[in-house]
Amino acid sequence: MDINKIENNPNSHSGIGDHSLIEIKSLSKDYVMGEVEVLALKDINLQIHRNEYVAIMGPSGSGKSTFMNILGCLDTPTTGEYIFNGMDVSSLSDDALSAMRNKEIGFIFQNFNLLPRLNALQNVELPLVYSGIKSEERRERALRALDRVGLSDRIHHKSSEMSGGQRQRVAIARALVTNPGILLADEPTGALDSKTGDEIMVLFDELHKEGNTIILITHEQEIANYAHRTIHIKDGMIHSDNANHQRK
Amino acid sequence: MLGIIFGVASVITMLSIGEGAKREAIAKYQDLGVNNIIIRDKKMTDEELEEVRAKFSQGLSQEDASVIKEIVPGVVRTASQSEISSEAKYSDKSAKSMVIGITPDYVEMLNYKTARGKFITEDQYQKELKVCVLGAGVAATLFRSEDPIGKMVKIEDQWMEVVGVLKSKTLFTETVGELAARDLNMDVYVPLTTFLGRFSHENQLASEIQQITIQVDGSDKLEEASKVIDEILKRHHYNNEDYSIVVPYELLQQEEKERQIYNFLLGAIAAISLLVGGIGIMNIMLATVMERTREIGIRRAIGARKSDIMSQFVTEAVAISITGGIIGVVLGVTLSLTVTLFTDITTFIQPYSIFIAFGFSVLVGISFGYLPAKNAANLKPIDSIRYE
Repeated sequence: MDINKIENNPNSHSGIGDHSLIEIKSLSKDYVMGEVEVLALKDINLQIHRNEYVAIMGPSGSGKSTFMNILGCLDTPTTGEYIFNGMDVSSLSDDALSAMRNKEIGFIFQNFNLLPRLNALQNVELPLVYSGIKSEERRERALRALDRVGLSDRIHHKSSEMSGGQRQRVAIARALVTNPGILLADEPTGALDSKTGDEIMVLFDELHKEGNTIILITHEQEIANYAHRTIHIKDGMIHSDNANHQRK
Repeated sequence: MLGIIFGVASVITMLSIGEGAKREAIAKYQDLGVNNIIIRDKKMTDEELEEVRAKFSQGLSQEDASVIKEIVPGVVRTASQSEISSEAKYSDKSAKSMVIGITPDYVEMLNYKTARGKFITEDQYQKELKVCVLGAGVAATLFRSEDPIGKMVKIEDQWMEVVGVLKSKTLFTETVGELAARDLNMDVYVPLTTFLGRFSHENQLASEIQQITIQVDGSDKLEEASKVIDEILKRHHYNNEDYSIVVPYELLQQEEKERQIYNFLLGAIAAISLLVGGIGIMNIMLATVMERTREIGIRRAIGARKSDIMSQFVTEAVAISITGGIIGVVLGVTLSLTVTLFTDITTFIQPYSIFIAFGFSVLVGISFGYLPAKNAANLKPIDSIRYE
């Protein structure tokens, strides 16, 4: 998996510039809800480098969900820049954003968000369908991704036939299959019991060691402790940004 | 989908009934002769007949026929016929039949084919021979399986030699203008010259000729010809209206016009059905889009563009309408065949009607699937994913 990442990503050779994977400059987001104007994010500045493992924490209403949406190209900022891998994505068209999500963002959600009528293999293949990849290559890559998360014996199972932990693994395989720039995980263990949750976090550790860049959104301190850097957001601004010395 | 099925089925059934009726009408008029004008001696009561004779009209005559042949533009042939209702007898059997004296041009002008022997010839006509040609029904009744050719049949008090038997004709079940419905298979044909010499009408005042059939050399000549004929007969009959002019082609066209109104109505019904069906699909799709909001959000999150979502849902709408279309076609064809089987309405299924109906169902799918698909594509991914 990591070899593919390096080969496919022209900017990933170390030494070519030292630019970070994600650069956020003076980013603000406000929107109108009814008659109220909400200032969700205020003048955020942030850098995230390749192969970092970052946790973003904050209470509800802090703006962390909004921030995650912008990081994941599901939304665009009102002002400021979001530069991903050297390219400003803050004002891209809808189709271009879709392409970004397809190729560079690997989403992992709290409630898995698999398509219930498709089996595991089809779910994992789906991003590649939207990439326009041919079916043999699709199948091959999907099988490898499922193998990586340890579900080779479940490829024809549907969601309803799998446990929570297995579903999340399928979701992770789906996120990995396009060799994305970042894995963006929103409360990945929120719907799992603590034992299964730990297994998933161990998997994330492995993926991090293999070279993936992981951004974790959580409100649980124990989960955030797996990351190597924790950013606290409060009232739409970065409150603190510290390395997690226990993990270095 | 029910609307589509019904709409498509009704389109096919209506079209097939319409086409069947059209073909039936054409066949019927073809028997009468598409390029023919038929002049009939009007059926009148004895009092009316007396009155007309008193006003100098002798009714239809051979003279009328020859003048018409000479003067009227575009006339190719004329044939005159005289008729009496009588009986044909052979050994111990008898058949009620219409005995018709005809001129030799007759067989050229109408679709009469002989099953055996030959029709009346010019020679037989000239020589006033006592020969006859039997309709298929008469021959069957009198001769069963025996060969009628050469046998002697008694009509009134005359013995006639059978020289031909006609093929069976389709029953003339409707009255066309003044042409009364009757079973043509029970007719017996003799030369007009023989007829006028040997048979006489029951009523002394009856016209010499009951029918003159005129053939023109093109249906475009019909209108003018019938006008001129009317002029001639008016003069000859001293303005007595004791005849009627029937132009089968005009009747055919009139029927065609009526049928067009009918077809239009049926078309409207079918169109409404398809519309209703389409609206049904649209509603189903709109509900489906609502149900699958989260699914749409997920697909968008992993990289589906708006156009990907649009084509997905339009395709689903078309799939529904095509399925409805196929069922509708099967139903429509079955219905048409059933109608023909159990009623005497003929139907004729034309391949193109199936394609049209099918094509419409696809069109409906695309049109009515468009709006729901657009709704789906325009959902915001963030909101959709959180939708429960």
